[in-house]
Amino acid sequence: MGCAIVAVYAALRVALESDTLRKLPFLNVLSFAVAGSIALIIPHPLSIVAAAAYFVGSTLESNAIASTFAGGLDRRE
Amino acid sequence: MNPEFLLGSVLLLVGTIAAAFPRPRTYLNRLINLEISAWGLLLLMLSYNEALALLTFGGVSALTVYIFVRVLQKKEAAV
Amino acid sequence: MPSPAPLQEDWIAVNEVLVLAFAILVILGALLTIRESDPFRKLISLGIMIGGVMPFIVDRGLLDVAIAIALIAPLSTLFTLMVCGRGES
Repeated sequence: MGCAIVAVYAALRVALESDTLRKLPFLNVLSFAVAGSIALIIPHPLSIVAAAAYFVGSTLESNAIASTFAGGLDRRE
Repeated sequence: MNPEFLLGSVLLLVGTIAAAFPRPRTYLNRLINLEISAWGLLLLMLSYNEALALLTFGGVSALTVYIFVRVLQKKEAAV
Repeated sequence: MPSPAPLQEDWIAVNEVLVLAFAILVILGALLTIRESDPFRKLISLGIMIGGVMPFIVDRGLLDVAIAIALIAPLSTLFTLMVCGRGES
């Protein structure tokens, strides 16, 4: 339950931030909170795998957005 | 009335309206707004416990986005 | 009229506070995605919405589906990022 409150707080911080590049650390905080919440939500041995998969996926997505926003791979020439 | 059903129908309705009338009228905004509606449909499928439909729709949704992106790139290269 | 399938009661471990919190996440992400105009900001808000949807899938006990969706959903964002590179700015 604490993880969900952290997630809502991080979402509010992302919503109220005006700089685009400064939104991304709070998006990472939200992903960590949601991953912890997924791991704690049901007692099943496969739920930790689901949390790890969401963790990897959301971190990859956030890094891809940051990399493309900061200039990305220069494919020209 | 599950929370998933209610949330999914709200998301489907809002996403469809946003994809039909995007605010800056570009194809990219239309494509991103279409994803809201796709996740709403996924929540509706979840509300009826359709595991195989969820799995198939998740895969096909990514494939559809890839095809739309290729079409947009081809259109940008032609102009 | 066929009624929806009954809930699997033994898997529902989420109390009302968690449902309310993730519903807030989903609605906030969707409204923010519609309101923004920059594609990068729209994708960040879409990430908020996906983070809100994912615990609902886990809550039903469909863990294999949750693993597959969690690995497929960033691919969709990556494909969208291919077309919205910093063209004019």
